[in-house]
Amino acid sequence: MQKFFNLFSKYNSYLLFVVYCAISFLFIKFQDDNLLTRLRTNGIGFSAFITDKMMSYSYVLNLKSENDRLMRINTDLLSRVLNIETAAFDERSRQKILADTTLNASKFIMARVVNRKFSDRENMLLINAGWKNGIKKDMTVLTPEGIVGRVSTVSEHFAKVMPVINSDFKVSVVSDKSNSMGLLSWSGGRESIAQVEHIPISSSLKLNEQFLTSDFSTFAIRGIPVGKVVKITPDKLFYTVEVRLAVDFSSLTHVLIAPLKIEAEKIEMMGENTSLETLP
Amino acid sequence: MTKKYSLYIGILFIVSLVQALGLSHLTLFNVSPDIVTIFIAFIAVTVGQKSGTSFGFVAGLITGILSGNMGLNMLARTIEGFIAGFFNTPENSHATSRQKSNRLYWALVTSGFCANTVLSVGYNPLALSPVYRIFVLGFLESLFTLILAVIITRLFLRQSLAD
Repeated sequence: MQKFFNLFSKYNSYLLFVVYCAISFLFIKFQDDNLLTRLRTNGIGFSAFITDKMMSYSYVLNLKSENDRLMRINTDLLSRVLNIETAAFDERSRQKILADTTLNASKFIMARVVNRKFSDRENMLLINAGWKNGIKKDMTVLTPEGIVGRVSTVSEHFAKVMPVINSDFKVSVVSDKSNSMGLLSWSGGRESIAQVEHIPISSSLKLNEQFLTSDFSTFAIRGIPVGKVVKITPDKLFYTVEVRLAVDFSSLTHVLIAPLKIEAEKIEMMGENTSLETLP
Repeated sequence: MTKKYSLYIGILFIVSLVQALGLSHLTLFNVSPDIVTIFIAFIAVTVGQKSGTSFGFVAGLITGILSGNMGLNMLARTIEGFIAGFFNTPENSHATSRQKSNRLYWALVTSGFCANTVLSVGYNPLALSPVYRIFVLGFLESLFTLILAVIITRLFLRQSLAD
């Protein structure tokens, strides 16, 4: 007996190991038992609960970076949408000008208005075409709706346009029905209304008549629509005529630049300054 | 003595929970380091083989409940504690802290390999080759566990091993 206890004491680690292994085998054998299954189910439930909580905390902690990531994606998408919309708008405007049958657009240079300076006196447009694109000073700028202005300064890639609604701009015009001739200018104020001067009181000009550029102009080609008569005020010798301009300057995006009218001999004969239009 | 064992049991619960809920998600090449193995090896090396075996059994029970595979985990952890116990440093030995650390690392690698073999043979849900599981995944797991053990030993267990 003593020997047995000595043996047990000496090898109790092995015995303990055997006992634990036996219990483990019993657990393996009866793993489908109700009690063990319930214990296992509860254990997995507890584990899942803790994991879920940890995941939710980590989700909250990661919200900032997630928000930043979404913001970056949003910015990227917004930039793409803007680019696509701008391209679509440009293409629509281009197609609209090309589709206009009243103008032979192939002779003209097309440009986009890239900047504008509007005030009640001094207005100026900047277009994205310069001398590299064939733009020259004094070329006529127009749209299918009507005259926009004339090129005043040209750089390599850009050109400055003096629009009709600039107090220094003047152009010879003629009405389409009564052939009344005058000089169109803009005296400030509303950008849709310009004035035509030097129309004699004897003229048979009527309301709603359309003014077009005339042959007298030193820079503009003949027949470009300018606007319609909206008000005629008689003075002593001349009418003061108000014209609603054909071009809406507030929504101007694309323009055409007409080839330069070369009439140096005519200008010389008239002995006039090219920057101003006067009636003979 | 009772206070020391109570502390070890408390740590065992925490370590088992951390392993089941935290470290098991920290995988690299589909294996994760095993902090429970480190703890069992530490108990077996510093306290004794019986304690190592008993702690292995309890650790297997806890991790088994949490993972849903009780019997096999208990068996593997018991074997782990028992084998690590062969590297136990007797109280009256004059082993240095470094020697004890080395014994701990050997205990860790050997017992971990045996436990992994038992688990690989007994539970193979993905039907992977046993050779691949034991030698490739087992080697990687032992390596990660060893690295973690070195870090833990240097940071927390240096004093305990020197005593």
